[in-house]
Amino acid sequence: MKKLTTLIATAGIAALLSGCTSQPSIANAAKLDLNKVCSVEVSGIENVIKTAKEYNDIAIANNLEFRRLNVNNSALIASVEEAIKTGAKTVNPLHHKSKPDKIKKSKTKLETNYAAERACRFAVVALDQAVEAKETWRLSVPGDGFKY
Amino acid sequence: MLLKIAKTTALVALTVTALNASGHGGKHFNDQAEKDRLALIKYFEDKFEDPLKNRNNFFPYSTDDELENSIAKGLKHQDFAKGNYAYNIDGKGQYEDIKEMPPYDDAIDAGEALWETEFANGKSFATCFESPSVAGSAYPYFDNARNDVITLTQAINECLTTNGEKAWNTKKGKMASLQAFMASSATEDEKVINVKIDSQAASDAYERGKEYYYTQRGYLKLNCAECHVQGAGQRVRNEKLSQLLGQTTHFPVHRLKWKGVGTLERRMSGCIKDEGQVPPGDTSKEMKELLFFMAYMSNEMKIDGPDIRK
Repeated sequence: MKKLTTLIATAGIAALLSGCTSQPSIANAAKLDLNKVCSVEVSGIENVIKTAKEYNDIAIANNLEFRRLNVNNSALIASVEEAIKTGAKTVNPLHHKSKPDKIKKSKTKLETNYAAERACRFAVVALDQAVEAKETWRLSVPGDGFKY
Repeated sequence: MLLKIAKTTALVALTVTALNASGHGGKHFNDQAEKDRLALIKYFEDKFEDPLKNRNNFFPYSTDDELENSIAKGLKHQDFAKGNYAYNIDGKGQYEDIKEMPPYDDAIDAGEALWETEFANGKSFATCFESPSVAGSAYPYFDNARNDVITLTQAINECLTTNGEKAWNTKKGKMASLQAFMASSATEDEKVINVKIDSQAASDAYERGKEYYYTQRGYLKLNCAECHVQGAGQRVRNEKLSQLLGQTTHFPVHRLKWKGVGTLERRMSGCIKDEGQVPPGDTSKEMKELLFFMAYMSNEMKIDGPDIRK
């Protein structure tokens, strides 16, 4: 019994360390198959936007959230969630300067499924490239990794 | 025996004290930063020594004529304090025309009035800063007691709030005007950028700022260096990109795009947004450490603010 407990604990720790858990994390982002988890056709729009939200929350916590044409990824996710509720075919997310008492729409208008896929990819890639950058950033420093 | 131990201990203590006094046990906390700064100066001096000869470092579609006649050659360290007007011959002509009647003069006057205005409690900015000139040249610095980089924007707002006033917008308006007056005073007094790294914590803050600058980010996966180190001297459409060296010497700036004066934080937020990421707050740790790194890279360069940019 003691041996079994030790084995389970060891496996659990190993899984955590290798990022093999299903919990969204920066380490797990690189292991995701975006063509699967961010595909509305394969995973369904609810799962795609759930993945987007989970990973984007981590991106926000680490100051890595993407913004495109004045639309924060969190606003894009919110617009898709709203579209799922209403059945809207297109989304028009809020401008990043929008406030609860002063709504400001962005100029971005996207087909809902496409918006969900973009939001999902933006959320995951923000984390994935942050991990990659830890290994690569010195390559552009003159006097360090950058040779000319 | 006891006397011997006491003598040895005293000798060791004296040696350690002497070593500490002569540079923190032999360690200079700015060693790496200095190495980086000198390498950056060398990189830009080499790059702009002869743009035609170094054409692989410039815009790939530039003609020989552009490389020969539109980009200045043989530039040395201090030349880079002018931003892209250091090398941008055509742009410099237009810049000098605008400088004949600088659009930021009103901001300097407004800043001077703000400096002289008393707070409700009877105090003023003079109670927080030694002089406008010192304020315009002493920031950012690393405050070892607070274990944090302190920027001018932060210091101005802290001065306001500790005296019972409301903090200002950190990007433009009064903040930019007061900074314009301070920068103008520092320029008149021929101050130079002089960022110090005198502790391990300051060195760590510098390193984090450096990593931020060189890290690819946003949905465009760009880092600052792609435009302002490797890309400096190249074109985006018809605009020539400025170089990291000397980038903090002339802020705040009146940008034609802004139709007014804005702070360095405003400009940096714009750059990070252009990379495709939500920029950090103007007084966040990331922003302040980024500015700390950038300012160190411009050490020993003359302050030349406020200035004009497109």
